[in-house]
Amino acid sequence: MTTTEIEQRYWEDVAEEERLSGYSLELTWTKMAEQVSGSQDFYAVHHDPDFAREGGHEDIFYNTGFTRAALCRLLTDWHGPQGWLRKLSFEMRKMHMPHDTITVQGIVTARRQGKGGMGEVDIDLWVENDRVGIATPAEATVLLPRAS
Amino acid sequence: MSDDYDIEAVRKEWIGVKSERRPGRYPVEYDPIRRHCQMVGDTNPLFLDPEYAAAGKWGEVVAPPVMVDYFAGNGAWPRVEEPDVTGGIPTRGNRAINLNTAWEFLKPIKVGDRLSRQTEVVDVYEKAIRLDPKAVWTVTESRIYNQDDELVAVGRNTLLRHRTPEEVAADSGSQQKEAAR
Repeated sequence: MTTTEIEQRYWEDVAEEERLSGYSLELTWTKMAEQVSGSQDFYAVHHDPDFAREGGHEDIFYNTGFTRAALCRLLTDWHGPQGWLRKLSFEMRKMHMPHDTITVQGIVTARRQGKGGMGEVDIDLWVENDRVGIATPAEATVLLPRAS
Repeated sequence: MSDDYDIEAVRKEWIGVKSERRPGRYPVEYDPIRRHCQMVGDTNPLFLDPEYAAAGKWGEVVAPPVMVDYFAGNGAWPRVEEPDVTGGIPTRGNRAINLNTAWEFLKPIKVGDRLSRQTEVVDVYEKAIRLDPKAVWTVTESRIYNQDDELVAVGRNTLLRHRTPEEVAADSGSQQKEAAR
């Protein structure tokens, strides 16, 4: 199995305004099929262009399951094997459509001591695409272990 | 649709309605997690590698936290016909757009866990969107539990239902005819 070892991040090592290492995905037709497979969301507006256009949309658009998975990946990669994603909220203000390239990025906005030996970190993150810019702003709180 | 839709009556009937707490169809399983990870290129071994996960903090493969409602549901097939508080709310149109989501994740969900969910209608209101001046928005809150009766996540979701442009035009036309009489 090809997985990627993820590093542990500690609360003491995090600074406000630190940027999370983002990543990009091309929304190819194969990715569209993976979106349906992975989310098991078969609502036609996410895979049938004719249905989407009949409803007044320019084209199909990617679903909630895909969008939150993209945000979640950024955070769980960043917090490491002993961290925990505590809160995640996001607004789907604009759409991600076929042939877009999306980029998922984030920035640390606050850090504070938490409970149970963990520290808390607030993060602003977003999914943008090369057609409309930031389409999905989000906020998260992540728990990180303390180094000592 | 003729405009006999009464948002105030819908609000009165539906706000505060709670579903029964219902179990998901299947336990938390490896392969749905793998497919979830595939769609966004997630190669985190906590989600994909049983050997790695067994030696880690949770002792078992865990699902990405955002999958919590997936495993608390019935899945897309075979379709389960049961009362659904969100789907039961009367709306003018049947086209849906999901808008805002907020989750708080309280405990990990591991392969083998059995989840259940209770959903409550928090709000229903009308608000115009570009496609439909009379779109109906619904806000629901879900509470998800594991097999030990522990609350593992709480989520709030805002979804709107709208009409097609054809339906909106037909409604506008009928209103103009009514006004002209």
